[in-house]
Amino acid sequence: MPSAPLPSYLRTHRKRLALSQAEVAFLLGIHGESKGAKVCRDERFVREPSLATALAYEAIYQRPVSELFAGLYQEVEQEIAERAKVLTYRKDWKPSRQTTRKRQVFAALATRQSKQSFT
Amino acid sequence: MNHKTPKQHRIWAITPSTRGFGFVVMEGQKTLVDWGVKVVKGNKNVQSLVKVEKLMEFYWPDVLMLQDVATKGSRRGPRIKSLNRQIIKMTRKRKLKVALFSGKQLRRFLLGNANGTKQEMAEMIAGRFPEELPSRLPPKRRPWTSEDSRMDIFDAAALVVAFHMRKKWMVRTG
Repeated sequence: MPSAPLPSYLRTHRKRLALSQAEVAFLLGIHGESKGAKVCRDERFVREPSLATALAYEAIYQRPVSELFAGLYQEVEQEIAERAKVLTYRKDWKPSRQTTRKRQVFAALATRQSKQSFT
Repeated sequence: MNHKTPKQHRIWAITPSTRGFGFVVMEGQKTLVDWGVKVVKGNKNVQSLVKVEKLMEFYWPDVLMLQDVATKGSRRGPRIKSLNRQIIKMTRKRKLKVALFSGKQLRRFLLGNANGTKQEMAEMIAGRFPEELPSRLPPKRRPWTSEDSRMDIFDAAALVVAFHMRKKWMVRTG
């Protein structure tokens, strides 16, 4: 059975660009003696980086955040799909154009995950 | 645009050597996820096993690739042979599949010649992963120098490439 994606692919992209952890830390604006260690923690996904740091990683590696944190993205997407499924079955909405549009959006969100889990 | 990484088989190769071991982690047939050399000191087998276990817990691979050091004509030292056995034993606990390739088989597969050199194989592998590996390619070894530790990465990468070329073979549950 295929494996689920790793929570973080930061190390892969750093190594691809032949950068050291200290160099990435400098680019992120991390100062102090243990700057490389902070990058290491992000790479091992010991801690979830802040939104600003995640976007900084995107800028450094030129890859979208959803790809850099593929495992986390998949987890979040799955949770959204499950919630969207609940909203799809909601019956207390009055019929209107807006409701139809909403139902389409929720159905798309709910099926998107189930489609991807078969890939 | 969807950038999600789909579920793929994660293959992990380890090549123990005198200084420690080289490793490569690959997802699918083209994506190298991690690669490098782990250097160990002191009791090399014990330290290597600790590092192997840490990597295993982080990557949770589907298949582990190792060099077949038990084949006739293998010139690996007794420590490496013992380490290989210990790694295979460790994989049994985790029900990880193990695939073995001998050096000769690798060269025959990748170079089409059982007498090809490691350097030729490394250059071929570096060409296959132009973004990741060329910067780690060691210079050609002189007869009076010992092997560069970075060569372990290419040996491990050769194992994962060979696995994809011939994955119906030699896979056994650990």
